[in-house]
Amino acid sequence: MRSTDSFTPNVSTRRAMMRSLVGGSLLLPGILSELLSAGSAMASALPSMAGAVDPLLPRAAHFPAKAKRVIFLYMSGGCSHVDSFDYKPKLISDHDKAVKEGKFLKRPNWQFKPRGQSGTYVSELFPHMASVADELCVVNSLKGDHNNHFEATLGIHTGSVTFARPSMGSWVSYGLGTMNQNLPSFVALVPKLPYAGGQVWGSDFLPACHQGVRVIPGNDPIPDMSRRAATAELQQMELGLLRSMNRRHALRRENDLLLAGRIKSFETAAGMQQAAPEAFDLSGESDATLALYGLPRGSTQGFAWQCLVARRLAERGVRFIELIDVGSSDNWDAHGDMNTHAPLAKNVDKPAAALIKDLKLRGMLEDTLVVWTTEFGRTPFVSQPGHAGREHHASCFSSWLAGGGVKPGMTFGKSDEYGIAPAENPVHVHDFHATILALLGLNHEKLTYRHAGRDFRLTDVSGNVVREIIA
Amino acid sequence: MMDGLRMRRDRAGNFFRLLAMALCSCALITPVARGSAEERAVAIAFFELHVRPTLIGRCFSCHGPTAQPPRGNLRLDTRAVLLAARGAGKPALIVPGDPDKSEIVILLRHGIEDVNALPAHRLTADQLVDIETWVRRDAITPDDNLAPSGAPVPHPDLSAARKFWSLRPVQEQPLPAVHLPAWSQNPIDRFVLAKMQEKGVHPVAAADKRTLLRRATFDLTGLPPTPEEIIAFLADTSPDAFAHVIDRLLASPRYGERWGRHWLDVAHYSDTAGEDADFPIPEAARYRDWVIDAFNQDKPYEQFVKEQIVGDLMPARDEADRRQKIIATGYLAMSRRFGVAPEHEMQLTIADTIDTLGRSVLGATLGCARCHDHKFDPFSMRDYYALYGIFESTNYAFPGSEERPFQIGFAPLIDPAKASEVLKPYEASLAAAEADVRRTFDARAKATDAPTYQRLTGEWERAKNHRNDVSHHAPVIEAAYGVSEGTPHDACIQKRGEPGDPGDSIARGFPEVLGGQRLPPDEHGSGRLPLSNWLTDPANPLFARVMVNRIWQYHFGKGIVQTPSDFGNRGKPPTHPELLDFLAKRFVDSGWSIKAMHRLVMTSQAYQLSATDDAANTQADAADDFLWQFRRQRLDAEEIRDAILAVSGNLDLSRPGPHPFPPRDGWHFTQHAAFAAIYPSMHRGVYVMQQRIKRHPFFVLFDGADPNLSTAERSVSVTPLQALFMMNDPFVEEESMAFAGRLRTARDTQDGQIELAYELAYGRPPEADEYSEARAYLAQYVQKLAATNIPAGKRETAALASHLRSIFSSNEFLFVE
Repeated sequence: MRSTDSFTPNVSTRRAMMRSLVGGSLLLPGILSELLSAGSAMASALPSMAGAVDPLLPRAAHFPAKAKRVIFLYMSGGCSHVDSFDYKPKLISDHDKAVKEGKFLKRPNWQFKPRGQSGTYVSELFPHMASVADELCVVNSLKGDHNNHFEATLGIHTGSVTFARPSMGSWVSYGLGTMNQNLPSFVALVPKLPYAGGQVWGSDFLPACHQGVRVIPGNDPIPDMSRRAATAELQQMELGLLRSMNRRHALRRENDLLLAGRIKSFETAAGMQQAAPEAFDLSGESDATLALYGLPRGSTQGFAWQCLVARRLAERGVRFIELIDVGSSDNWDAHGDMNTHAPLAKNVDKPAAALIKDLKLRGMLEDTLVVWTTEFGRTPFVSQPGHAGREHHASCFSSWLAGGGVKPGMTFGKSDEYGIAPAENPVHVHDFHATILALLGLNHEKLTYRHAGRDFRLTDVSGNVVREIIA
Repeated sequence: MMDGLRMRRDRAGNFFRLLAMALCSCALITPVARGSAEERAVAIAFFELHVRPTLIGRCFSCHGPTAQPPRGNLRLDTRAVLLAARGAGKPALIVPGDPDKSEIVILLRHGIEDVNALPAHRLTADQLVDIETWVRRDAITPDDNLAPSGAPVPHPDLSAARKFWSLRPVQEQPLPAVHLPAWSQNPIDRFVLAKMQEKGVHPVAAADKRTLLRRATFDLTGLPPTPEEIIAFLADTSPDAFAHVIDRLLASPRYGERWGRHWLDVAHYSDTAGEDADFPIPEAARYRDWVIDAFNQDKPYEQFVKEQIVGDLMPARDEADRRQKIIATGYLAMSRRFGVAPEHEMQLTIADTIDTLGRSVLGATLGCARCHDHKFDPFSMRDYYALYGIFESTNYAFPGSEERPFQIGFAPLIDPAKASEVLKPYEASLAAAEADVRRTFDARAKATDAPTYQRLTGEWERAKNHRNDVSHHAPVIEAAYGVSEGTPHDACIQKRGEPGDPGDSIARGFPEVLGGQRLPPDEHGSGRLPLSNWLTDPANPLFARVMVNRIWQYHFGKGIVQTPSDFGNRGKPPTHPELLDFLAKRFVDSGWSIKAMHRLVMTSQAYQLSATDDAANTQADAADDFLWQFRRQRLDAEEIRDAILAVSGNLDLSRPGPHPFPPRDGWHFTQHAAFAAIYPSMHRGVYVMQQRIKRHPFFVLFDGADPNLSTAERSVSVTPLQALFMMNDPFVEEESMAFAGRLRTARDTQDGQIELAYELAYGRPPEADEYSEARAYLAQYVQKLAATNIPAGKRETAALASHLRSIFSSNEFLFVE
């Protein structure tokens, strides 16, 4: 655990550190981040001290990382694996057959085809994703622990289906720190609340600086990011007054890193207030780029906006970017009719494919891990022959990963002939998490945090890295 | 803990603690004689508990007696093979005492550190640390055969375990002799000073009166002192002036709102249930108010805890007392709910009860023994399920859920006869409607063709709607979110924590190491009543220690035991063990009076020290574990909010009415559309509606308690988003404007306004340079405003408000010394 009292630094170096922090120029937050950046002599001389002032400082991974950042595309409600990425010819030929008492097989609503050089199967539900099939590593043998949205949503995000735990993005932020002091390390682009609400990006017992910052499309994407003072100049004056008061207060309190940390936090905030609007301002994007994502100019609607903003945040050093396509209602939860998947797919398909193309174009795909997932799959069977929808199915589902050191054009793991359960190379959610952390250079068994007498980790007491998919 | 080495060291240290615990000797300081019978017994116990299972589970399938042939022709199931030299120049697989030279350890370390290692060689970090520890302690085994011995795993030796510091009986402590007897104002100071002398640090000077008053006022009430209170304290030059201040603050209703909140943290209070739809619980607030009132009344702590466990069964003085005691059991009802039909996940709710009870009252992580015996502390699964049976025999009020969107089993607060008269017909019609739901559901499951299925689905839906309609006609009576007696029975062990995999039935009782009491033969209830007595028994070594440590912690910002809810092996040992026992003894002798403890602690010199730095002390004790200075503390979330409102003049000090939850017949909350609301309030933070699933953004931002967990200690984070809140949030803007208005009403001159601002916010007048800074700032700001569309008549107020926002944002406002 990192806390201000967990180390005993030399008093004089601590003073020097403090002076430089307090003395940092208000409107040049870059100086401080430079001062504290991983490479600087000061930071390496005083890692624990700097960490106490700024727990978001970049930190070394456990072993060489393949990916620097994650863009996590989460489909809320449970996207059907047998209608999207898990091709089951026998499910089609055995349509309406009873697979067990009261369970009748149901064929997919969309046709499957092998795609690209790799021959990765993707259905017509996702034609754009199909066009980048050679970049994808599809996993068809995922399994989770719970058949309920709320619990499964927590599971795929925190590793725990019951008790509140930190979100994966928070763990990554805690493990690696941030690459840009002027933006949060973990951003959640969430137009509508998902199941389990803010717990999905919460830091729980990890320090609050690691929680995801929720961004809502619109004029004020991050709370309190809009200047309240009448003019920028007046705000600068006000912050100048604050700095003067805080410096006076700090003169006789040179040893308190928390005070210094707060002084610095206002500088970072000022930087963030400037940097964040720029990150969300799409006016500089070319028509070609907007067209690639399918985003009308000026629109902040839909997954296209989320994906394009995600790319901009990735470029600007945000460590973990989570996108939730829709909220806890009107989502992939197709109990009544599988065709309700169609408009949802239309919303995400083109932008998700565009994101991969765009990252590749900019040379960023190799160190950006893109993950597409959902909380569970849907039953390959129905209780009544002819029923149009499918139920929740945690025991088998599909996801894909791309970029960030993952083998491209690959399909890993197999489900049984109907897609009911993993048949080869099952990948539990814990394994999935362990693999994502491994790609970031983090050993999931070492990324621990002492809370209430126990060392907690994202993968609880299990998890195996799926080495076969790591390039 | 990022650093693997550090983690390993911790685990190894833990083994040493285990040894120390088992041997009650100073194993930490001088190694125990190698080969003593006791040491050998402990080492074998460690092997049996932590190493043999790994060998069996992870190694022998390829390298054991049944592997045909063994992988690499290597069998690991005898000690002789492990220790034998493996040819010239090759080290043995295990070199007793030296893990770094043991080839197996080297290989397994590699397995953990290298993602590309053979999966079969990838143990968990814990397993590896255990093997390293075992090798370091000479790799002792009972005999040569390492394959399953068939011998039962040895039970931890409880009499040895009871010698661990927190499980020893509380001892009477003589006052230590000190060099500076004049410094001591009360017995606490003797213990504190003796420890400082031992550690080579010296106390700094005492805090000045203004600082002390601000400290004590925030500490006991969570609010800043008023200028009038400051003047009165400065004018009182009598020797007991500060004692009077303490008495005044303890008599204020604001005291219970502050200290009650501490308990609500520990009890993980929430206004919602925490299941998937996060149903609101309007009645929860009664428990909140009960806690606040209990602190204000100085309810003896023993009584305070008993009422929360079993208030519904305790004799009552009168009707009001009876009601209050029922409300007190909200502590148990507050356990988190899970799933869409929480009654199906009751094992998790009971797990939460035991976890919270263990942490809050016993400082014990009992919850760790749910799926396996506690790995570090002497609590077994049998202990866990002995408690579990008590709560499984208890009915928890049901707050509603997606599947059953209405309340069931809330404890009526009106006359019981009348309640039953009103409730009986309702409960009967609800039961009938519920039976109908079940009947139609079961019928549908038997349908064999689609039309029947469709038809029966319709019937089932109608039955549910009817049942919900019935529930909307629930008689409106006053009720509590509490517990009541269920059907008394013992519970079975749930293997690996799975209710579907039952083991032995366990007689209800108390953990062995704490006495192992079982229900008396004449107990015919759930067992909560005897449990409340076992918990509060003066012979229970944890009960008083844990609470006095909490009191100390909230006063000083850090406990004598710095892990206030974990007094076990994984927690930290006390920095002042004698003082802890002294306080525990005093606490019992005072009749469990919490206010008496406040007086004792706050009248000590230790409490009244300044927060001044001292270079020599910092070198010796930078973390101030030995209390040579008072620890500067950031205000917590409630204090930040309440202090801003208090200073602006907008704080409403009355106790608010019920939260404005939507009417009950509109409770159609589901996991798709969970209950979520933020109710604006000008009341104190403790009264603000707190949800489990969608937490209140302000309290999340400033490290408020997470109502999903028992919170022993608020963390203090510093984030740019907090700074942005101060810079740009409408709340701060509005309160700065209100503060400016208050100042302009109270004082005619600009200097007078600044003076009052400093007095209200910082508890001190401004210095000369602060006056001049303010004058220059306000003049310049007003001038700049001329270029904006803010009308001339409002510029002075706007400028002043800007200055005040800087005050709200400043470290001096946000920290108490």
